Amino acid sequence: MTSAPPSPPHRTGTSSSSSSNPTQSQSNASASAQAPPPKPPAPAVSILPGQLARVYSFAHPVLLLGLLAVRFKKFVEDPVSELFGDLPVLAGLQVLYAVVCLPPAGAPSSKGTTVESSLGGSEGTVLKPGRIGLRRKHAKEAGISVKVVPALISLTLTTLLATPILSILLVLFGAPLTTHNLETLLCAAHMAVLSATALVYVHGVDGSTWREVWGVGRPADAVWGGALGTGVGAWFGAVPIPLDWDRPWQAYPITILTGAYIGYALGSLISRSSCLYGKRIQFTPEVEEDMDKKTE
Amino acid sequence: MASPTLEGLANSSTNVDDPKLSASSSSRPSSSSRSSDLGERRPQPKLQVPAGLQARMGKKTNSVQELRTQVMEGEFKIKHLGLLGVLVWILLLHVAGIFFFTKGFLLTRMVLDNKSSCKILPFDDSSHAPAWTAGRSDKGCWHQKSFDKAIVIIIDALRYDFTVPFAPSVESEQAHLFHNNIPVLYETAVNEPEKAFLLPFIADPPTTTLQRLKGLTTGTLPTFVDAGSNFAGTAIDEDNLVAQLRAAGKNLVHLGDDTWHSLFPDYFDTNLTRPFDSFNVWDLYTVDNGVTANLFPLLHPDNATKWDVVFGHYLGVDHAGHRYGPDHSTMGEKLREMDQVIRNLIEMVDDDTLLVIMGDHGMDSKGDHGGESDDEVEAALWMYSKKGMFGRTSTETARPPKSPRERFVPQIDLVPTLSLLLGMPIPFNNLGSPIEEAFAGTYGNDVKNLAAVNRLTSAQIKRYQHEYAAARGEDHSLSLGSLEYWSEAEQTFAKGKSDAILRSAYDSYRQYQRGTLEICRGLWANFDVPSMIQGVLILFSGLALLVFYARGLKVNRTELTGSLLTLAGAGSGLGGAVGSVIGVLGFVDMPIIESSVLFAAFGSIIGAAWSIFGSQLSPPLPNSLWGWLSLIFTVSQSIGFASNSYTIWEDEILLFFLSTFGVVAGVSSMRQKATQDRVLGLYHSVLFVLLGRLASFSRLCREEQMPFCRSTYYASATSSTSAPWQLAIPFLVTLIIPAVIKAYYTGSKSYEGTSSLWIGVTFRLGLLITSLFWILEGADDGGWFNVSKEALKSSRMFLAQFVFAIAFGAGTTAYMYAKPCISINVSKGSPDPEKPASPSGQQPGRTTVTILGFGNVYGTRFFFLVVNFGLAVILMQKPMGQGAIGLLLWQILSLLEILDTNALATTNVSIGPVVLGLLGSYYYFKTGHQAVLSTIQWETAFIPLSTVKYPWSPLLVILNTFGPQILSAIAVPLTVLWKRPLQVQEPGKTDNPSLRLLSDVVQAVTTHILYLGTINLATTMWAGHLRRHLMLYRIFSPRFMMGAAVLGVVDVVVAFVGVLGVRWCGLSVGEVFGW
Repeated sequence: MTSAPPSPPHRTGTSSSSSSNPTQSQSNASASAQAPPPKPPAPAVSILPGQLARVYSFAHPVLLLGLLAVRFKKFVEDPVSELFGDLPVLAGLQVLYAVVCLPPAGAPSSKGTTVESSLGGSEGTVLKPGRIGLRRKHAKEAGISVKVVPALISLTLTTLLATPILSILLVLFGAPLTTHNLETLLCAAHMAVLSATALVYVHGVDGSTWREVWGVGRPADAVWGGALGTGVGAWFGAVPIPLDWDRPWQAYPITILTGAYIGYALGSLISRSSCLYGKRIQFTPEVEEDMDKKTE
Repeated sequence: MASPTLEGLANSSTNVDDPKLSASSSSRPSSSSRSSDLGERRPQPKLQVPAGLQARMGKKTNSVQELRTQVMEGEFKIKHLGLLGVLVWILLLHVAGIFFFTKGFLLTRMVLDNKSSCKILPFDDSSHAPAWTAGRSDKGCWHQKSFDKAIVIIIDALRYDFTVPFAPSVESEQAHLFHNNIPVLYETAVNEPEKAFLLPFIADPPTTTLQRLKGLTTGTLPTFVDAGSNFAGTAIDEDNLVAQLRAAGKNLVHLGDDTWHSLFPDYFDTNLTRPFDSFNVWDLYTVDNGVTANLFPLLHPDNATKWDVVFGHYLGVDHAGHRYGPDHSTMGEKLREMDQVIRNLIEMVDDDTLLVIMGDHGMDSKGDHGGESDDEVEAALWMYSKKGMFGRTSTETARPPKSPRERFVPQIDLVPTLSLLLGMPIPFNNLGSPIEEAFAGTYGNDVKNLAAVNRLTSAQIKRYQHEYAAARGEDHSLSLGSLEYWSEAEQTFAKGKSDAILRSAYDSYRQYQRGTLEICRGLWANFDVPSMIQGVLILFSGLALLVFYARGLKVNRTELTGSLLTLAGAGSGLGGAVGSVIGVLGFVDMPIIESSVLFAAFGSIIGAAWSIFGSQLSPPLPNSLWGWLSLIFTVSQSIGFASNSYTIWEDEILLFFLSTFGVVAGVSSMRQKATQDRVLGLYHSVLFVLLGRLASFSRLCREEQMPFCRSTYYASATSSTSAPWQLAIPFLVTLIIPAVIKAYYTGSKSYEGTSSLWIGVTFRLGLLITSLFWILEGADDGGWFNVSKEALKSSRMFLAQFVFAIAFGAGTTAYMYAKPCISINVSKGSPDPEKPASPSGQQPGRTTVTILGFGNVYGTRFFFLVVNFGLAVILMQKPMGQGAIGLLLWQILSLLEILDTNALATTNVSIGPVVLGLLGSYYYFKTGHQAVLSTIQWETAFIPLSTVKYPWSPLLVILNTFGPQILSAIAVPLTVLWKRPLQVQEPGKTDNPSLRLLSDVVQAVTTHILYLGTINLATTMWAGHLRRHLMLYRIFSPRFMMGAAVLGVVDVVVAFVGVLGVRWCGLSVGEVFGW
C-alpha cells in the first residue's frame, strides 16, 4: 500500500489545482471534451519471448535476493557505506533486467502475443506516447539505442523524482527527520531503483498508465508486481523494528529495505502466475479476493 | 406541497446547487454515486422546497402536512431515545465485563484482623529462660526500648540521589539543579555515624503517597486494588504502628498532608494536629509553611510533655516535582529549605527523641510518580539520635551508599525498627526486618541485640504466616520453603553463646524474613482467574454481538431497537433473578449482588442475540479494501499488545497506521473519476499525512523508550513546565484553527448564519483567553511580572472559568437553539447574473431562492459540538498539547473531506470511525501522555479551581487525559453527516428518511465503539494472560487500565454527547427543510 513509484511531473502539481496538470491528464479527466481520443492505459506487460529473457526474468529476482543474503552481514555492520556501494550494482542489474527481459517504452505492446523483434520506436518518439502512428512506422527498425535511451531516462527519473518522493514518504511514515538522513536517502534510492526503473523503462511517461500506477490500478505483471511488492514489502519490513530483541539488524533501515527486496522478488514472480496475471486490485466491493491479497 | 405556483420556486431551489458546484474547490459532493443520487431527485424538485421556507414565503401549509411533520418529528425523537437506550446497554455491559475482570485481576490480599499485643511475645519461650518479660510498657513491650519520643518527618518524594553528593556516572555529566541541595543528611551520617545513618529506602510500587503510608505503617505489601483510590483514601483497619502507639496511650500529633487523616481518623491529638489539603500540587508553600510553623513550637521544652510522637509530612518537594520537574531552580530552593528545617530540628531535639526523616517515594525524570521505575521507588531514609546509639557492622557499610544499587532497605523495614526502638510490639502483619544500623550498637558489634530483635521479628512473621494459612483454609503454601530457615535459626540461636554463632543465627533469621517476603510477594499476585474469565466472556460476547449490530445488520437499526431493548431487558431481568436465587441458595461463592449482575449481563446478551440474529443479517466481513484496512488496523494493533515492545511504541505505530491510511486515501483519490474529487481527495490525503507527522513532534517519552526518544512536550526531559517559546503555540492555535474551520465551512458555502459568529468570534475569543491563561501561568512560573502570586492565580482561574462558561454554558445553549448554517436569499424578478447557464433555461423574472450552505447542512450544524468541546479540551492542555489538539481538529476535518471525496461517507464504510479511533489514541500520546500512571497530569485539575471539588476535579483530569479520545468520539457521527445530502420524504412513500440518518449515525458510533472495545478486550486478555510477566505492572496493567478507562469514557461521551447532539442537529434541519 505504500508503494510509490516515481512520479511524473504532474503529480506535484495536483494538490494546488487541476489547471497545473499537463494537458493530457486533463483530457483524460474530463473524458469527452478534447479532440484526440484518450489513449487507453498500457495493458499488462509480458516478458520478452527469447530464451535468455525467460531464463533471466526468473533468475533476476533470485539473484537480487542472493546478493542481499551475501552482503547482509556487511549491510548490518555499516548500512550507509554498504548501501552506497551497492547502489550502482543494483542499478546496473535493474537496467540489465529491463534491457534483456522487457519491452522498452514505445514498443508496440505485446498484448500477450509474441512480437518477434520487440524493438520499437525511434528515440524521438519514445517519450511521446500520444503519437502511435509515428511509432508504428519505425517499429521494425532495430538498434541498441532504442533500449539504451529508455534505460538512461528511467535511471534519471528514478534518481531525480522517485528517490526524493520515497524519502519523504519514509519520513512521513515515521523515519527520523533530524537524524539518519543518509540512511533514509539511500533506502529510498534502493527502493526507487527496485520499483521504478522497470516501470519507467516500460511505460515511459505515458499519462494514463501512470494514473493507473498512482491509483494502484495497474494489471498485475512482472514490472508492476515488483513495484507494488517493493512498497508492501517495505511496509511489512517496519514491523520488527520496535521489538526488544536487541539485534543489530533491527536498526533502521535494514528491515525495511530487506522487506522491500523480498517484496520485490515475490511480487515480480507471483504476479506472473496465471491466476494473477492481468488482474487488478479493486478498492470497491466488487471483487473480494483481490482485496484480500492486496491487503496481505 | 405540490402546488403549481411553487414550481418555479422549486426549480430555482434545486439550481442553487449549481453555483456551488462551479464556485469553489470543495463544494457539493460530486462523486459518482452521489451525483446519480442527486440526478434522480432532480426530476422531482418539489421535494426540496424547504418547509420553513414555505412558511416564510407566506404559503400556508395545510393541517395534514403539519400533522405529518409532527408525526415524523415525534418518530425521530422516540427512535432517537431508543438508540440512546441501546448505547446505554452497551455501556453497562462494558462496565460489568471490566468490573468482573478487574475484581479478579487486581491483586488481593486477605487482611487479618489480628493485633499484636504488648503482653504476648510472638514466640513461646517456655523452653529456655525468658530473655524479656513482656508487657512492661515503661521499659518496652517485647524488647528494651531506646526512645520515649519520636519525630517522624516525611518529605514527600525525597529521592535518594537528592541527599547524597553528586557523583558523575559518566565523565561529562553535570550536576543537576536537584543535586547537592540537602547535604545535612549525608554530612551527619558521615561525620557522626553513631548519631545518624542514611540509606536508600526502596518503596513497593505503586508509588502513590496513600499506598506508601499504608506500607510505612503496617509493614506489609500493598495490593493493587488500592492504587486507584488516591483521590479518596480509606481508613486502615489492619494492625499498624500508629494504632499500636495509640493503644499504648501515646499522644500523637500529625502535621501536613491530610491523607493521614483518611487513613487514621481520630488517632491524633485534635488540639495540636494541623492537616493540610494535599492535592493542590500547584501550591508549593502552604503545607510546608504550615508544618514548620506548627512543628517547632512543639520542640520547645515547655511543650515537651504534650506529645509523644509527631508525624510531619512535607509536600513542597513533591509538588515542585509535579509542577516543574526535578531539574528546576524551585526544586533546589525547596530542598535547601528542607535542609534548613532539618538542621533546626537537629539543634532542638533532645536526647530521648528519635528523629526520622524519609521520603515515601522518589520521582521520575519529570517529577511524577506512581509507577515502579527506579527513580520512582528510590527514596531516602535518615535516622538521627542525639545520644548516639547507631552503628555499622562493617567498613563497607560505614558510609551511605552512593546509589541504591550498592545497598538498600525496603520501606517496610521501618515498621519493626521503629516499633522496637519505641518499645512497641511489632504490628501483626509486618513482613519487614529491623534495620541493622539501628540495633548494631555504637561499635557495630552488638550481635546479641541484633539476633534478639531479628528473632522477635521472625517469630512475629511466623505467627502471621500461620494465622494467614489458617484463615485462608488452604495448604500452607505461605510457609513452604522459608520455614527451614526458621528452624535452622532457632537451633543456632538456642545453642548460641558466642558472637559468631549468634551472628549466624542472625543471618538465618534474616534469610527467613526475606524469604517469606519473597514468597508473599509471589503469592499475593494471586489472581481470581474464574472472575477474570467471567469478565472476559462478558466483554467478548458483547463485542461479538456488536460486530453484527454494527457491521452485519441489513435492516434499519431504529427498527430493531424495540425488540433489542425488550429482549435484552427481559433477559437481564430473568438473569438477575436467577443469579440472585443462586446467590441466596449459595451455589456460587460470590455475593448475591455480584451473581445477579453476572447472570443479568449474560441474560441480556442472550436476549439481544435473539433479537439481532432474528433479523436480516449479512456476514459482517469487510467487503472493500477500506473494510479490510479497518480490520487490519484493529486486529494487528490488538495482537501487538501481547508484546511489551509494541505497547511501548504504540505512539509510533499509530503514526504508521495513520500515514498508511493517508497514503491509501491518496491512492484511492487518484482513482476517482471526477477531476475535482481526485484533486481534492489527494490534497486532503497529503494534508492528513503531513498534519499527522507534524503532530508527532510533540512527544513525551516513557522510560522504556529511552534512549531512542526525545521528549519535547515540556521545556526539558526533567521538567514539567513549558518552555517560553511553547507559550506561542496557543496564539498560533488562536490564529490558525478558526481560520481553518472557516475554510472548511466556506468550501460548502456554509460559513453562514450562526457559524460566522460562533467560529469566527466566540471560538476565537475563547482560544485567545486560553492563550492569555497560559501566559499568566508562565509568568507565575518564571516570576516575570511584579505581581503577587495570589493575584495571578485568581485572575488565571477567572479566565479559565470564563472559557468554560463559553464552551459549555453558552456553547451548549447555542448548540441547542442554533439554526443550520445556511443563508437563504429570496430575490424576485431579477435574473441572476451569476447563473448564466441554468440548465432548465430559466426565464428571468421568476422568484429565485438561493440557499447557501445547502450541501453540508447536517455536518456544519453538528460540528459546533466538536468546536465547543474542542475549546474546553484545548484549555485543559499544556501549550504543546493545545497545538496537538488544534492539529487533531484539522485532521478530523481533512478526514471528513477524504471520506466525502472518496464516496465513503454515504456507504457507511467502517474506516471513518476506525480512523477516528486511531486519531483519538494517537493524540492521547501527543498531549503529553503515555500508557503509564505517572503521566496523568493531576495538576490540570487546578486550572479552573483552587481546591479539590467533587465531582469537578476528577472530570477535569479526565478532560485533560482523554480529551483527544473525547473529541474523536464526538466527531464520529460526522463521518455520516458531513456533506450528507438532505433527505426528505418522497411523495407517496411513508418511510421516514430521518430514521435512516439515525441508523447511519448509530452504525458509525457502534463501529467506533467496536474498535475501542476490541482494543480493550485485547489489552484485558493480554494482561490476564501475562499476569506473571515481569513487565505486568510496568506495561500491561497500565495499558489495560487505560483501555478500560477509554472505553468507559467514550461509551458515555458517544451516547450523551455525540448521539444526543444528533437530536438537535436533526430537529433544527427538519424544522427548516421539513421531514
